[in-house]
Amino acid sequence: MYAQAFFVAVFGLAAIGFGVAVFRTSSMVRSALALLFSQTAVGCMFLAMQTEFLGVLQIMMMATEMSIMTIFMVMFMMDPGGLGGMDMSHQKRFSLGAGAIAASVAIAVALLADWGPVTAEAPDAAMQTRALGIELLGRSMLIFETAGVTILTAMIAATAVAIPVHTLADNGDKEASE
Amino acid sequence: MTVAVVLVALLGSAWLLAVIEAWLTTGRLRPVAPLLAGLSHLGRESLLPRKPDRLFFETAPVLLLVVAVLGAAVLPLAPGLVIADLATGALFVNTALAYVLVALIMAGWGPNGAYAMIGGWRFLGQLIAYAMLIVMPITAVAMRAESLLTTTIVGSQEGLWNIVYQPLGFVLFFIAAMALAFRAPFDLPTAAGELAGGVDAEYTGVRLAVLRLARLVLVVTLAAATTVFYLGGWHGPLLPPWAWSLIKTLAVAVSMLLAGRYLPRIREADLMRWCWTLGIPLALLNIFIVGLLILVVP
Amino acid sequence: MITVLIVALVTGAILFGVGVYGALSQTNLVMIMMGVELILAGALVNLVAFWRFLHPENYAGQMFVLVVMTVMALEMAVGFGVAIARFRARGSVEMEEAGDLKG
Repeated sequence: MYAQAFFVAVFGLAAIGFGVAVFRTSSMVRSALALLFSQTAVGCMFLAMQTEFLGVLQIMMMATEMSIMTIFMVMFMMDPGGLGGMDMSHQKRFSLGAGAIAASVAIAVALLADWGPVTAEAPDAAMQTRALGIELLGRSMLIFETAGVTILTAMIAATAVAIPVHTLADNGDKEASE
Repeated sequence: MTVAVVLVALLGSAWLLAVIEAWLTTGRLRPVAPLLAGLSHLGRESLLPRKPDRLFFETAPVLLLVVAVLGAAVLPLAPGLVIADLATGALFVNTALAYVLVALIMAGWGPNGAYAMIGGWRFLGQLIAYAMLIVMPITAVAMRAESLLTTTIVGSQEGLWNIVYQPLGFVLFFIAAMALAFRAPFDLPTAAGELAGGVDAEYTGVRLAVLRLARLVLVVTLAAATTVFYLGGWHGPLLPPWAWSLIKTLAVAVSMLLAGRYLPRIREADLMRWCWTLGIPLALLNIFIVGLLILVVP
Repeated sequence: MITVLIVALVTGAILFGVGVYGALSQTNLVMIMMGVELILAGALVNLVAFWRFLHPENYAGQMFVLVVMTVMALEMAVGFGVAIARFRARGSVEMEEAGDLKG
């Protein structure tokens, strides 16, 4: 139990440390990869809390997601290397206050609430995967289907928003060059 | 103990693979050459490019090596000979190897060189092409085994190997594995002819030695994964289980290298198009066929 | 056992706070999205901790984590779509300059 608390705390500290690093570095690639390692540490926390499938899934998904974020950072920031020392933030004091208040309220709730009886034994990892699968394709199937359809909609919407607007002139150019 | 055995097996296979690769390229069998080449890298000057991102530059080769070894940690060599038999083993292989991308982006961004950076970003595009073709065939394999445990997956192939049961999945996984290991014809991030080495370009000395070793270990890991998922793992007559694992792994690795030698490098856009318009529908078809087989054939 | 739960919840809370700070203080759309990702990561930690320590028999908890992960991916996809469109139209994704809807 102490071992579990220790590992959860260590990975938690890593997640927070990398999370803070995201907004403290001026190199955009470092920033995005710090977010990646923050999410990976969160995945490791899941593993430390004996939630194997979700932990592995989190670590896998975030590797790809945050790497894609990296290239967008480099594309859209004016100073991706961070060598120019540009300040990319505003309303600092207000944000700091809001963040601190949000965190302290949540911490207060975590400390003061009565969480009731706490279970010591986690289900076996293989059983968890199995039970999650049954949950997905049984009781929660509609929710999961909705999530799937939402993904499809978002894919189509994102693509539709992102593709360049073709004017008649553009098409003419393209045909001429091909 | 198990850890040591698996590590020695990995390094040994990487060495054998290097020997065989040199043999196929030059026609001469020189078993000591890879070791000498590695040692000579250690002796050379390890240059640092101007204004590098030092953290990424140093971490990238090590991270690549670590994830390749981690991926191998869940693959069984013989009954009982596996470092961690995770309940999510088949997923874990893919999880560990997803960080190959992170390592290559680091290696691309770190040295502050144009060729290296293009190489790193190219691999990101390559990942978008191959990623689904790694996951979907594994899904079909796990469907047949009704488990994500790698040992159970091997056990499920005792009567009939998956390469016969789902040949489509094998072909897709094999191609995607080659793309993941960035071997020719998918060596877009390094692309010797056009990018002057790409992500390798700025690395010298010890760091290059680690990077080269990591690439070899990555090929071995992927070949071992192909063996476990499709070639029946340790199953085989006469020889002991570990020997079968080793032979199959090496055979897959060598065939990956051989396939690369006779194919021209593919264009990034073509890779993307074929993977998404041809590969993913075929992978879905594979899942569908396997599902039908599971339901119909008892 | 309650210690582990508290440790996880406090971690989630601090991640949430860091995310709020980031989302409010950054001027670039992509950086704001990174703040939102941190907020969601804090939520994920809490969800997993609740599932593991309070209701391990109810797998709807894990299901909820999957849905949140989906939301993270969606947020990225749509966010980047919008970022690309805005970058094409205006040449930057700085939110300081995005006052078009201000009266």
